[in-house]
Amino acid sequence: MSHLRGQVEATIASVCFGVAPIFAKKGLMSGLHPFYGVLIANGTALVIMIVLAFFSQQVWQWKAIKKYGLSNAIFAGLCNSVAIITFYWAMSIGKVALVVPVTCIYPLFTMLAAYFFLREGEAFDRYTVIGTFFIVIGVILTI
Amino acid sequence: MDLSIFLSIVCAMAWGVQSIYLKKAMGSIPFQMAILITLTVNFLALILLIGLGIGEGFPVFLTLPAPVYFYFSVAGLLNFVLGRGLYYSSFRFISVTQSTSISSTYPILSVAFAIIVLGEKLALHQWAGIGLTLFGAYLLMVKGKR
Repeated sequence: MSHLRGQVEATIASVCFGVAPIFAKKGLMSGLHPFYGVLIANGTALVIMIVLAFFSQQVWQWKAIKKYGLSNAIFAGLCNSVAIITFYWAMSIGKVALVVPVTCIYPLFTMLAAYFFLREGEAFDRYTVIGTFFIVIGVILTI
Repeated sequence: MDLSIFLSIVCAMAWGVQSIYLKKAMGSIPFQMAILITLTVNFLALILLIGLGIGEGFPVFLTLPAPVYFYFSVAGLLNFVLGRGLYYSSFRFISVTQSTSISSTYPILSVAFAIIVLGEKLALHQWAGIGLTLFGAYLLMVKGKR
């Protein structure tokens, strides 16, 4: 059951990731620099998450956070920032038709990194590896 | 190598690796807190970039019309709160590789939207791409190790 829940959550996340650019594109049609748009989107989400953290009482658990968890979350945020910045930098100097498909290979990097650094608790079998390759190639062909 | 291709590969690597750090972080902190921390880091990085002179500085925000704020706020809600929230949450139930691969199928939705709503016609390679993506998702969801 929890496996199904994980799959459903990942699928709905995919729908959200697919619909969000439609609104971002509408905003960018005003001629705004993409970084400003990302900052507004990020800022809105940050405010919502702060409010949610207050309501869920999680904000009071800051002291209980372990340094290990905090540093990993910060590294994740830094990786995400690097991804956003390099993506828009690449888009500004290169062809969209090249940049977008190349960035779509990121599940392969996740699979590689998970294989080397997260072996415990990670499902690695031929179906997962072949399925990931098919999805990446399929997405590159589609866009 | 062309700089844009190099940057695209760096982007893919950074996007790919962030999930690993998140999975590790979520072993000791709640996933909502993980989202909050990553959003804060992103926010500070963007503020720094704009402060360093990317674009036309902060006064631009005072001149933007309300609809622009609305569109980007909805995009932020969908992408950073709902999308990321569910994506991070799924790490608790399935592997990072499976979750990342499933959630990366979103271009198929855009294509479905283009076909159904806009009536666009697809080329043969695009149909092949849809087929491969769906088959890959099937392998991960149905056949993949639990």
